[in-house]
Amino acid sequence: MVLVDQEVKGVEGFNMEIEVREKNGDELVFIIRNAEVPFVNAIRRIAMMEVPKIAIDEVNVYVNDSAMFNEVLAHRLGLVPIMSDKETIEGLLDSDSTVSFTLQKSGPAIVYSGDLISSDSKIKPVYDTIPLLKLKEDENVELEAIARIGKGLDHAKWMPTTVCAYKQFPKITFNENMEVTKEIADACPRNILSFDKENKKITLGNLENCSMCKTCVRTSQSIANSVNSAINVDFIDDTFIFTIESDGSISPEEILLRSCDVLNQKTDKFITFFKGG
Amino acid sequence: MIPVRCLSCGKPVSAFFEEYQNRVADGESKKDILDDLGLKRYCCRRMFITHVETWE
Repeated sequence: MVLVDQEVKGVEGFNMEIEVREKNGDELVFIIRNAEVPFVNAIRRIAMMEVPKIAIDEVNVYVNDSAMFNEVLAHRLGLVPIMSDKETIEGLLDSDSTVSFTLQKSGPAIVYSGDLISSDSKIKPVYDTIPLLKLKEDENVELEAIARIGKGLDHAKWMPTTVCAYKQFPKITFNENMEVTKEIADACPRNILSFDKENKKITLGNLENCSMCKTCVRTSQSIANSVNSAINVDFIDDTFIFTIESDGSISPEEILLRSCDVLNQKTDKFITFFKGG
Repeated sequence: MIPVRCLSCGKPVSAFFEEYQNRVADGESKKDILDDLGLKRYCCRRMFITHVETWE
């Protein structure tokens, strides 16, 4: 069987490169070169929908005197991110085992996610400061919350990512036969273009910030009063800027690694099938 | 009560809301606090700016 990819690009043509651009806390930005849309999109979709993590799924409310309905409280509990990195949830991944949290508090007080007491010392909420409900004088709350492993496909509370997106790398070219003006450079809402008075040229800033809004192109067209533009905005087909932001439960690098594992498992199924497995 | 996560992107913004309120009460500029807390998208920022507490 010949891979279509190899026919199109040649075996040597497929040498993907990755370069990390930004990494702070829960956010990771990197550039992928020599890749294709279907592949990058598969990674994106798996990272959002099929990387398992843990979230509160069932709540047994014994006492709730607060003004908040049990259903609303259970929903809020479900959305609290819980530590789900590989080391922490290793034992839970292949089984139906659960982790239970207990919550007990008397008013007057504000109940925070930090008040949840876990049955497993490693598995706990990422943030201790998420306000869950308010209790007035003589009001009590007492509940048990059961957390399970799940996938983003079933409910958004099991999505490890918040922002998980890519865009193609912008490419700005100039039409040699037309003159650029200061108005074109000033039109850019992200200040990527700057006008060089002496050479009557536009110099490019950080292209990664370009949103490809094409305001510069439209400005140039209206100045020239024609469909031709002195500046053109395009993108590079096989280069992507990929952003993964996590909700804190799993680090973005681990989300990426685990989505690759999931993709691997899926393709392995094809291989064993066609080898007659 | 402030929603646990940003309604649009899902960032767990509520964890920082109390700090935001305290710093606003201290007279700090809202823009500076939001930038400092790392809320850079406008979907997350509006969660704080437009929140009206109805449960007292």
